[in-house]
Amino acid sequence: MSPVMSSLARTWREFRTIAFLTLDTLFWSKKTIFVAFISVFILGLSILARLILTYNWVRAPFTPAQVFGTLMSTAVIHFLVVFITLFYGTALISEEVEGKTLTYLFVRPIPKPVIMLGKYLALVWIALLLVLPSIVSSYLILYLGSDLGPFFEDAGALAKDLGIVALAILAYGAFFSLLGAWLKHSILAGLLYAFGWEGIIPYLPGYLRKLTITHYIQSIFPHDDTPGAIAMLVGERTPPLESILTLVLLAAFFLSTACLILREKEYIIEQ
Amino acid sequence: MTGIVEASGLSKWYGQVIAVNKVSFAVGPGVTGLLGPNGAGKSTLMKLITGQLRPSQGQVTLFGQRIWNNYGLFMRIGLCPEQDSFYERMTGAEFLAALLRIHGFSEAEAGRRTTSALELVDLAAAGDKKIGAYSKGMRQRIKLAQAVAHDPEVLVLDEPLAGMDPVARRETIRLVRGWGKAGKCVIVSSHILHEIEAMTPTILLIHNGQVLAEGDVHQIRDLIDKHPHHIFIRCSEPRRLAEILVRFSDVLSVRFQPEANALTLESAQPDEFYQRLPDLLLRHEIDLEEISSPDDNLQAVFHYLVK
Repeated sequence: MSPVMSSLARTWREFRTIAFLTLDTLFWSKKTIFVAFISVFILGLSILARLILTYNWVRAPFTPAQVFGTLMSTAVIHFLVVFITLFYGTALISEEVEGKTLTYLFVRPIPKPVIMLGKYLALVWIALLLVLPSIVSSYLILYLGSDLGPFFEDAGALAKDLGIVALAILAYGAFFSLLGAWLKHSILAGLLYAFGWEGIIPYLPGYLRKLTITHYIQSIFPHDDTPGAIAMLVGERTPPLESILTLVLLAAFFLSTACLILREKEYIIEQ
Repeated sequence: MTGIVEASGLSKWYGQVIAVNKVSFAVGPGVTGLLGPNGAGKSTLMKLITGQLRPSQGQVTLFGQRIWNNYGLFMRIGLCPEQDSFYERMTGAEFLAALLRIHGFSEAEAGRRTTSALELVDLAAAGDKKIGAYSKGMRQRIKLAQAVAHDPEVLVLDEPLAGMDPVARRETIRLVRGWGKAGKCVIVSSHILHEIEAMTPTILLIHNGQVLAEGDVHQIRDLIDKHPHHIFIRCSEPRRLAEILVRFSDVLSVRFQPEANALTLESAQPDEFYQRLPDLLLRHEIDLEEISSPDDNLQAVFHYLVK
């Protein structure tokens, strides 16, 4: 093996080990119970909507596409994705500080940014693992039946939704990882951002909305008749390509700032 | 000043609190004991040496290089931290292997080193047990194993004997002395004088963030002996023994503790006192139950040194 390949293999091994260590810590934390509860709740809503549609329990003027769009907009993106990335992202560093295990990582011959990137990889990994199956399951529950026409017609929207969710996880994950590396009470700051700032600003006219992650997600959201789209009525959407690029750039900016903070900040491990 | 680990004018403060105050020292190969009471600044100093904290003032170097964010140097350092914290769900072997992989070792090499480190600390049989199920002593030993598994040249051990049973303690002391003899630079902290004495005669005495004394532990013993010694004696007839002892000029004071059937006296010449005592007890047929010196601890040494 050439020295370059050997060095790359070594970096990948270090990176992957950090990710696995983090994944193990995150997955077996109490937060996962809450996240699993939200996922099950979303599935429950899908089952309920499907029963209403199938048996006409109420005069429901909605289609599977509308239900799925509403679920995606409200429950998945603005709730499940935000909660998962908030809980896990802010915990990436703070949990190791509180658990006093950060010392083991900080006295190894690897740059601290690699630690941050490995942890971020674990966050994205666990978030995708927890969110994507619940979206696909909801889609199957709502669409599968005797008439498979809508199932195949809306499959493109499903693929787009999965892509948007992945982008949302990247952007929110990087932002909350930054808060976790930077602030002591990062979860509170994250809650204020997600349900304070992002809860109000998108509904205000003007350009302030561009200072939220949710604006760029809503701009590329394929479901026009959902509550999330209401925000778009009071202002212009950002073009899709610009939105995608902005989300990727925001994720890169937040992540590199988190790496910088981890490199320069002293974490006091209480004895 | 030449050494593997060197500090010059090293200070660290947290807000208004000074943890380490203008400390300068050089540590070379062999074992050096960092001795000081709880809160003296030992752990902060160890964190500065291992690059976990950035100096507020002055500098600390390893092999002539600053340690803060100097990742390459960490290949040459092993740290056994004081805190009893782990990835509890991992087994001892998984924990060691993961940390070795972060060090850049291949899977095979990490596995080989894991086995060897587990054997070294006598945990080979418990390697597949979860760390969460380990006893305090086993946890201490796995912490020691992760510090030495990559065979570093500098070992920084923060209170490594805490929580160990006597057998493990003796074995760890033997290991530490062995590493020192092998030419590694071992810095080991403790607040217990005899623990340090068992590992090394070379000490750095730290109190209130300052190095009070540096050198041979016997010099510290001499310092103790220059000062009046408090001696606690529990015996069958403390008042009669006191009456006998006060005739000697080196005995400066006697205080009774009736509830313990004991007395505490102050002697200006402890060595002579200890030589004389057995004969006196035999001659006057007084049964000795316990004798100890409250001065024979670190706090008393610090008290003497700062006076």
